[in-house]
Amino acid sequence: MAGFSRLGALERRVERTGTSLSWLLAALLVAYVWLVVGAPIDSVQGPIQKILYLHPPLAYGAYLGFIATGLGGVLYLWRGSEAFDRMAIAGAEVGLIFCTLMMVTGPIWAKGTWGTWWSWDPRLTVTLLLWFTYLAYLLLRSFAEPGARAARFAAVYGIVGVVLIPLNYYVIEIFEARSMHPDNLERGSLGDGMGMPFLVANLTFFVAFVYLLARRWEVENLAARAALRESEEGDRK
Amino acid sequence: MRVALAILWKDLVCEWRSRDRVAAMLLFSLLVVVVFHFALPMGTSRAAVTQNAPGLLWVAYIFASLLGLNRAFALELENDAFSGLALAPVTGGWLFLGKALANFTLISIVELATAFAFALVFDLDLKGVALELALIVALGTAGICGIGTLISAMAVRTRFSEVLLPVLLLPTLIPVLVGSVQGTAAVLAGDGVPFDAVQLLIVVDATYWIVSFLAFDYVLDE
Repeated sequence: MAGFSRLGALERRVERTGTSLSWLLAALLVAYVWLVVGAPIDSVQGPIQKILYLHPPLAYGAYLGFIATGLGGVLYLWRGSEAFDRMAIAGAEVGLIFCTLMMVTGPIWAKGTWGTWWSWDPRLTVTLLLWFTYLAYLLLRSFAEPGARAARFAAVYGIVGVVLIPLNYYVIEIFEARSMHPDNLERGSLGDGMGMPFLVANLTFFVAFVYLLARRWEVENLAARAALRESEEGDRK
Repeated sequence: MRVALAILWKDLVCEWRSRDRVAAMLLFSLLVVVVFHFALPMGTSRAAVTQNAPGLLWVAYIFASLLGLNRAFALELENDAFSGLALAPVTGGWLFLGKALANFTLISIVELATAFAFALVFDLDLKGVALELALIVALGTAGICGIGTLISAMAVRTRFSEVLLPVLLLPTLIPVLVGSVQGTAAVLAGDGVPFDAVQLLIVVDATYWIVSFLAFDYVLDE
């Protein structure tokens, strides 16, 4: 039982979020579906415009996942606590899911509105790069010797990635700025009756992200705990 | 700083004695240039070739660099000298500096030869713009070596390092590529030194070298 005390208060806090978050998420999902179905149909884009309630919220999740990964890596290198490394793994995997879904919904929307599946505008390009960076990060983790080395290498690469994404945005803005992307954060850019569904959509996906991150983190914590227990039993024998 | 120079000298002397890395990179580069000639369809106009030349040149450079960087830490790996590097009582950053400068030197030699081959195969006149081109290539190579040295130090100690190195490195090379290709295109078009490309490359290079310098300690472990 001595091993449990070594996993800190942080992991216990993560576990405790389980029930409350799942109720909140369920309630939000109900509200989300109701609002999106009831939302007005855009006069110019038609029904496909409702991807607005899916695509940008997924985007926020993708970038949050990336921040979680980078932050987890930095904290791991700084404090040495493996809990942070596990948060980085969780952030990478959940972020990758959100990023993939974003890359799927985006082209669907683009084909319906711009008439093309893809364009090389800064946001799309940087997102594609983010997706590749996520995959490279996960590949590095799986190919490196498991344990402290994989954690350290991944943390360093995570930091490189965090530097890379804004750098790329800056580069592509300067040299290849041909933006077709609508900017939804300005006041008045959304039609009437779309503000509330959009807000609820963002809130729902944010909570979903946090929930999935916490659960994935918990799975890693449990795996670490199980491994610790096994090694302690092995020592006792 | 003396440590960095010692590492630089050691790498260059080792390379001079065996010359295997430079030879392999050189041969590969020349082959890539020839492949590019065949990759462009028959009847491609001279104008189209000249327009695409900067991009092709940098693709050749990046592929050759991947090859070279893969072998950058091979000596240390084979002779278990990583322990020596890790246990050395210096900040890892100086070791990085020496290694990155060595990589820069070796890759630059290969790039020079490749540029000659390129000019020959694609009938380009590089004499007039040699200095400007050298500036852009130097800045681009500095970017490649800066981040490449850090990443190859990690990749070399994983399984399938030959596959992992390009996968890890290529996303990070996009800013370098954009700046270098734009800069090279401007130089070849006779527009003089392209200040925005140079500025961009300086920012990217500085960022990569600083991050790699600071992070190298974490990559050397034992």
